[in-house]
Amino acid sequence: MDVLFLLVPLSVLLGLAVLAVLAWAVWSGQFEDVESEGLRIFHEAPARPLQKSPDFCKLKSD
Amino acid sequence: MQASVLPFALAEVPADPSVDPPASRLAVFDDPEEWAIFSQSCDKPAVAATGLWESQVMVQGMHCAACSLTLEQALLGIRGVVAAQVSAASKRASVVWSAALTRPSQWMAVPQALGYRLLPASDAFAPDHGRKEARLALWRWLVAGFCMMQVMMYAVPAYVAGPGEITPDIEKLLRWASWVLTLPVVLFSCGPFFGHALRDLKQRSISMDLPVALGIAMTFAVSTAATFGAQGWWGHEVYFDSLTMFVFFLLTGRWLEQRLRDRTAGSLDRLMQRLPDSVQRQQASGRFERVAARRLKPGDLIRVLPGEAFPADGTIVAGDTFADEALLTGESRPVARLAGASVLAGSYNLSAPVQVRIDQTGQATRYAQIVALMERASVDKPRLALLADRVAKPFLWFVLLASAMAAAYWWRTDPARAVMAAVAVLIVTCPCALSLATPSAMLTSAGLLARQGVLVRRLQALESLATIDTVVFDKTGTLTEARMGLRSVETREGVTSAQALHLASALAQHSLHPLSCALVAAAAGVPLPLVPGTDTLNMIDVREFPGLGLEGRLTASSVPGALGQVRLGSARFCNLENPLHDVLQVCLADESGWLARFEFDEAIRPDAAEAIAALQQAGVEVQMLSGDRAAAVRRVANALEIRKVQGDCTPKTKLEHMQALQRQGRKVLMVGDGLNDGPVLASAHVSVAVGTAVPLAQAQSDFVLPGGQLLMLPKMRAHARRTMRIVRQNLWWAATYNAVCVPWALTGSLSAWLAGLGMALSSLLVIANAARLAHMKEGG
Repeated sequence: MDVLFLLVPLSVLLGLAVLAVLAWAVWSGQFEDVESEGLRIFHEAPARPLQKSPDFCKLKSD
Repeated sequence: MQASVLPFALAEVPADPSVDPPASRLAVFDDPEEWAIFSQSCDKPAVAATGLWESQVMVQGMHCAACSLTLEQALLGIRGVVAAQVSAASKRASVVWSAALTRPSQWMAVPQALGYRLLPASDAFAPDHGRKEARLALWRWLVAGFCMMQVMMYAVPAYVAGPGEITPDIEKLLRWASWVLTLPVVLFSCGPFFGHALRDLKQRSISMDLPVALGIAMTFAVSTAATFGAQGWWGHEVYFDSLTMFVFFLLTGRWLEQRLRDRTAGSLDRLMQRLPDSVQRQQASGRFERVAARRLKPGDLIRVLPGEAFPADGTIVAGDTFADEALLTGESRPVARLAGASVLAGSYNLSAPVQVRIDQTGQATRYAQIVALMERASVDKPRLALLADRVAKPFLWFVLLASAMAAAYWWRTDPARAVMAAVAVLIVTCPCALSLATPSAMLTSAGLLARQGVLVRRLQALESLATIDTVVFDKTGTLTEARMGLRSVETREGVTSAQALHLASALAQHSLHPLSCALVAAAAGVPLPLVPGTDTLNMIDVREFPGLGLEGRLTASSVPGALGQVRLGSARFCNLENPLHDVLQVCLADESGWLARFEFDEAIRPDAAEAIAALQQAGVEVQMLSGDRAAAVRRVANALEIRKVQGDCTPKTKLEHMQALQRQGRKVLMVGDGLNDGPVLASAHVSVAVGTAVPLAQAQSDFVLPGGQLLMLPKMRAHARRTMRIVRQNLWWAATYNAVCVPWALTGSLSAWLAGLGMALSSLLVIANAARLAHMKEGG
């Protein structure tokens, strides 16, 4: 059972990592428009690959 | 940009607002000076004229989420557009385009062919506080939820293992892991609870957050002490699982509540954030400069560009345009605003730049009054909620006292048990359930009604609506169509019908009565015969006598002074004897007597008969009161099978009739157009205004049916009854729950996790019960 001393702290670290991913998802607006993305598949023309980040301007000027 | 080089002439403004304006309208946005209003440059200022710009535009004509994709594709197909993102939820688009390759007029014109209309969103770069708050709330909730799941995992062994099956060091490891993951929940997710509790303590008041915060703090302190092996009275149990679960359920409850509120109050927020931050004001030198909107004073001359909102109430002095007053007046189509017309703060200027002389600013504007009115309606507390609030405060004191007493009692025999008994009392009691019982149901209800086209002006009215047993209808504009057609004109000898029509129209345009609107509409289609000396007809000193007619004095611009007094209205009002027909008619008279009579076609609303039958079937008595002639009233009544009718009513006799009904102990719902029957609507138990005859905020009613769907009336009543049933269930549940759980917790045998579960479940049950309303079958 000694392996628990490794696994339990690891699970804590994993939990914190998941929290970090969730933080990114929340603050980059992944949950804000959940409806229109699902409809994309009904569109005939394949969507042109495009830069969709609202921070596009900032990226561009950097 | 000088006024003389305005890019389009007045004649270019289309007469019919449903037709899109010519693309040249958009040329105004090609001026690089205008770009900064709705765009920001992506490059350095030196190359801005040829560089990339990011523009924010509002999209009109989007119906569903799929529209956003179509529009996106269309925008991306334009040469020079680098990126486009359309949000279906906010009806906004963000477009990145290259100034070297295209111009706003070019990429804004393309979607018009598809039926969308793009307007620059001048307020796009205002700080967006609401979104940040929503994200923070979601983030707090996610942290609590995820940590709860993880802490549960660590807690399971302690529940399933028999005595001695877990070695002490493994147990300590699990506790330590739980502690690490509880930390973010207590420090971050519980922030609002502690914050509010602290604020309330500072203000020496008490709220629901205080026992919650106390419970969290005590549980966390006790568990932390046990985790790190400190020995003492607090015992050696940990409660991290109860704590995180309790916080998660509480946050879930609040988040759901917030979402329910947002759904109903969302349009209100949009309305309140409408005024622009800055505006172009004419300086002493005659040039226009941008100043902060709050520095405007009455008398200032400002220039408002298309797409901007008017910052204050004012009068247009130059330019003709269309304005979007949808949120202010309920009129969803753009309305023409010509030079000399007044415009409302908060409405959008749609089609042309105009110069506006400011009449009212700040709190004096119609906009501010409407916002205040709507704010009042949305925070209006139903009587039952007020009762719950009154009970909640003494109840909270009782909870604090009870938990202190429980602690004191158990202290002598078992200090560890004393702490947990106190915590259990703090946590298990749920004034939330009590306080949420009414508003959760009412707000769900209001949201559901709003989606079906019913605006709820006063939440409390749902309570009265459930108990009504009599419905009184007004006739004109309520049971019959608001728009009426002019059938025929009869005139005195020597007067042409066109002259009579224009004379009547000059007077009628001062009134919102359906018949007046019909007259104005009819006159607009007939060219005015020019009589020498009376080039334009104008009315001064116009007075409206509700239920009777209008009176005014005629002037002509080329003749000084008034030409004479003119009356428009019922035959009686015009002092005419013996009207000839049993038809809907309006008379026009001057000082020498009868001038003309206008006859109208009146159509009964298509769903009126069905709505009335449904109401009668539900056991509600239907009556009709009308200011119209008795014969015309009876004709409508027969068609609709209404047995109790009364014609020839003045507003006063309507009011007396209403009061007589109420003296008989009846609960009366009054349905009117909200115009002539204001006092009657106000005196009824519940009132509904039908149609858009009156600006939304002026309607003196509890509910507004802007689409005029009478069939909603029986549905609304059934819906209100369901709502009240749910409210009663909720209140009973909350009361029973507390009556059972508080004594239980006082005995000290209720563990903290069970208390947390009970608390969260009691709140959630109340909300879930209320949410049932949204899914109930229509007729049920």
